[in-house]
Amino acid sequence: MTENDVIEILLVEDNPSDAELTLHAFSKSKLANQVRLVRDGEEALNFLFCRGPFAERSFDHPPTLILLDLKLPKVNGLQVLEAVKSDPRTKAIPVIILTSSKEEQDLVASYKFGVNSYIQKPVDFSAFQDVVKQLGMYWLLVNCKPPKTAFSAA
Amino acid sequence: MDFLRQLFGSGDFQPHGYCYLWNPGLVWLHVISDALIALAYFTIPITLVWFIRKRRDLPFSWMFALFGVFIVACGATHLMEIWNLWHASYWLAGAIKAVTAAASVGTAILLVTLVPKLLDLPTHAQWIQASATLHQEARERQELELNLSLSEANYREHSELLDLTYDAICVRHMNNKIYYWNRGAERLYGWTKEEACGKTTHTLFQTRFPKPLAEIDAELQEKGFWEGELIHTLRDGRVVTVSSRWSLRTDASGKPVAILESNRDITQRKREEEKFRKLVESAPDAIVIVNHAGEIQLVNAQTEKIFGYSREELIGKKVEVLIPQRYLADHVSHRSTYAEAPRPREMGAGLELYGRRKGGAEFPVEVSLTPLEIGEDALISSAIRDITDRHRAAEALKASEERLQMAVEAAQFGVWDLDLASDRAFRSLRHDQIFGYDSLQPQWGAEIAESHVVPEDRERFRLSFAEAVKTNGFSVECRIHRAGDGSLRWISALGRVYRNLKGKPARMMGVVADITERKNAEQQLERHRQHLARSNAELAAVNKELEAFSYSVSHDLRAPLRHIDGFARILKEEHAAGLSEEGHRYLDRVMQAATQMGHLVDDLLNLARIGRREMEVKKANLDEIVRHAMENLIKVDGERKIEWHIEPLPETECDPGLLKLVFSNLLSNAVKFTRDRQPAVIEVGTRKSRGATVFFVRDNGVGFDPQYADKLFGVFQRLHRQDEFEGTGIGLATVQRIIHRHGGEVWAESQPEKGTTFFFTLGPQAASPVPAEPAGVQHDRK
Repeated sequence: MTENDVIEILLVEDNPSDAELTLHAFSKSKLANQVRLVRDGEEALNFLFCRGPFAERSFDHPPTLILLDLKLPKVNGLQVLEAVKSDPRTKAIPVIILTSSKEEQDLVASYKFGVNSYIQKPVDFSAFQDVVKQLGMYWLLVNCKPPKTAFSAA
Repeated sequence: MDFLRQLFGSGDFQPHGYCYLWNPGLVWLHVISDALIALAYFTIPITLVWFIRKRRDLPFSWMFALFGVFIVACGATHLMEIWNLWHASYWLAGAIKAVTAAASVGTAILLVTLVPKLLDLPTHAQWIQASATLHQEARERQELELNLSLSEANYREHSELLDLTYDAICVRHMNNKIYYWNRGAERLYGWTKEEACGKTTHTLFQTRFPKPLAEIDAELQEKGFWEGELIHTLRDGRVVTVSSRWSLRTDASGKPVAILESNRDITQRKREEEKFRKLVESAPDAIVIVNHAGEIQLVNAQTEKIFGYSREELIGKKVEVLIPQRYLADHVSHRSTYAEAPRPREMGAGLELYGRRKGGAEFPVEVSLTPLEIGEDALISSAIRDITDRHRAAEALKASEERLQMAVEAAQFGVWDLDLASDRAFRSLRHDQIFGYDSLQPQWGAEIAESHVVPEDRERFRLSFAEAVKTNGFSVECRIHRAGDGSLRWISALGRVYRNLKGKPARMMGVVADITERKNAEQQLERHRQHLARSNAELAAVNKELEAFSYSVSHDLRAPLRHIDGFARILKEEHAAGLSEEGHRYLDRVMQAATQMGHLVDDLLNLARIGRREMEVKKANLDEIVRHAMENLIKVDGERKIEWHIEPLPETECDPGLLKLVFSNLLSNAVKFTRDRQPAVIEVGTRKSRGATVFFVRDNGVGFDPQYADKLFGVFQRLHRQDEFEGTGIGLATVQRIIHRHGGEVWAESQPEKGTTFFFTLGPQAASPVPAEPAGVQHDRK
């Protein structure tokens, strides 16, 4: 898997348990191969904006979906969201907040920055698995992807 | 002819001589006697005629004439006697006798009627008196004639004198044509004597008369003169007012022949009068001029205005008509006193004077009197000013001063009035008391005041004082050491600067108050405020910590639970083969515990959130909220058969979001604890209690022992075992917190196995009236 392979899902998650459980859920839905895991906000931004370790990447291959946790080391989820949604090269990428809490302040900030969906991870794992399955189905199969021209500055 | 011949003829009669037998002695006796009688009889009338002619004034002269005729007739009979001695003309003699008889009878009758009249004639003495008068008259006539001759002699001289008089004199015929024109007239009118003579006066002068000319002429005819003012136009076109006097000249028989008109130019005087009149008229005060008898002679427009009388109503009336009844007696005597020794002065100095309007209303006045001497008239001019407004203002000022005085006393203010030049101040006793003295000090000023100020505040005191001179306002709060006990007091001084005519600050007036108590209170308040601010800051910090804590809880506490549940489930599902049945059961317990812990965390977070969030109170439709909560429950637990009895609920002021939590909690409780009931009945409604609306949620569930009712609303307090009815013990604590935040109360009534009713209010003011007939609405769920 090279850096420019098509990445369907960018999973931004610092907690290894959560990451593993999420990937486990994706694997149940046969989507795990297309998931790229990054472990903090900084890494997520480097990946998305093709810089640092990801300088080789091209903006021509944006991920189909970003799954973003809010509580992240270095750069938190809201900052990542704001950066993605305020840059025309990344703005069209659907972003889904997938987090433990649904504190009002987080909901408000997320939607103000233009999040496409906000999902609270249920404590019950089987419920979580259902959610992951549903959102994978929806965003990867049902939803029409943004065309290339949607990523131009104009 | 026969008659005449018979009359004068002798006929057949014998002459009378025959009767005397022609005795010469007897004949001549008759002849001479008759001749003498006739002579005498003829002489008497002649004398009478002479007498009458001489005394034309005699009354009854015709009587003498008649008597004369009678005597003459008698004489004629005697002549006929002589004639008939020789001629027998007895018819003629008879005719003459007949005439004589008529005359004598007539005379006799007349004399009888005349005698009483003759008796009225003046006596001799009277005649003498009359004669003397006659004499006198004769003398006077003589003198008059003498004077006349003198006048005639002086006529030229008089004419010249007339020329010298300043007045314009012209004399005109009755047809108004001028025939005399003196030099004064030339001077006044501009026409020469030659130009004026022969002209018609009124045309020449274009005279404007004060009344119709016919009336003037009538007066002239009646009285012989007329006086008045006329307006004449001069030769050069100027119009002048003249004082004119016309005199009628008559001839000896009294017939008017000419009119002498004497005119004096009074234009200048009239202008002065007009000026005076206008001056008086336009005076802002009512001017009333009275004569020595107190009769009003003149008033101006202002008098009419303030007294309400018209000019005509006042002129000639006693001035007392303008004075209130109760002062009348005094005024009359004062007026007389003043009239005796008049001098300009204010009237009733030091007294309040009142005027009386038409209709009797009184009003305060100010009167000044001035004696006026015009000719022989001693007049008094009074200028009267209506001072109602001033009175009112003075009364208002007095009232306001009284109020101020009360305020000053009530506020325990000391009052001071400082003369800036001398630094001496008048103060009230309270002022000096504030500075610690029992009585007023002999001396006081800004310097003395400053000496009481504590040294730390002196600079501020001086600055405020200096500032006051610039801004006119003095205001300072400072500490002083009281005289006597030296105690430290706070004072507040307020003042205002008053400037003299040159604009220099002259006085400063103001108040001073002891504000120690206020200052202490302020300081205490400030301490409280600071304390409160600190507490607030602490509270805010605590709140912030709490928020951070609950945020962390929300994120971090749930994550491990998910992990526990997640991995347990993976273990159970994907590694089932390696686990015993007991292992499976334990994993189920692990997962249950994790789920329960998840619920606890969620409920606790909710509870914390309710305490933190701002209330959004508005009118809300509770029916909708209840229906919503109910439908959510039905969705979750669709199998159950529950009878819902939900009354219409009033619109209520509340936070709808929070009320939704209340109803969800209460209804889900009701659903939970009626699990074993067939059918389960859940009611929602309101009732009135002491004017407030009480909401209730009733179920026919398992109920509880009322002795534990006080534990019902505690956090984590449960009245049922977890294996009977699941729950976190946080729901009712949440309900109570929400109700308390609304200012209401929540309580429950229950008996084991008899069901439970929860009641709550939303604060006494939050309740609106209940619908008149709450109709139960049934929602039967089969």
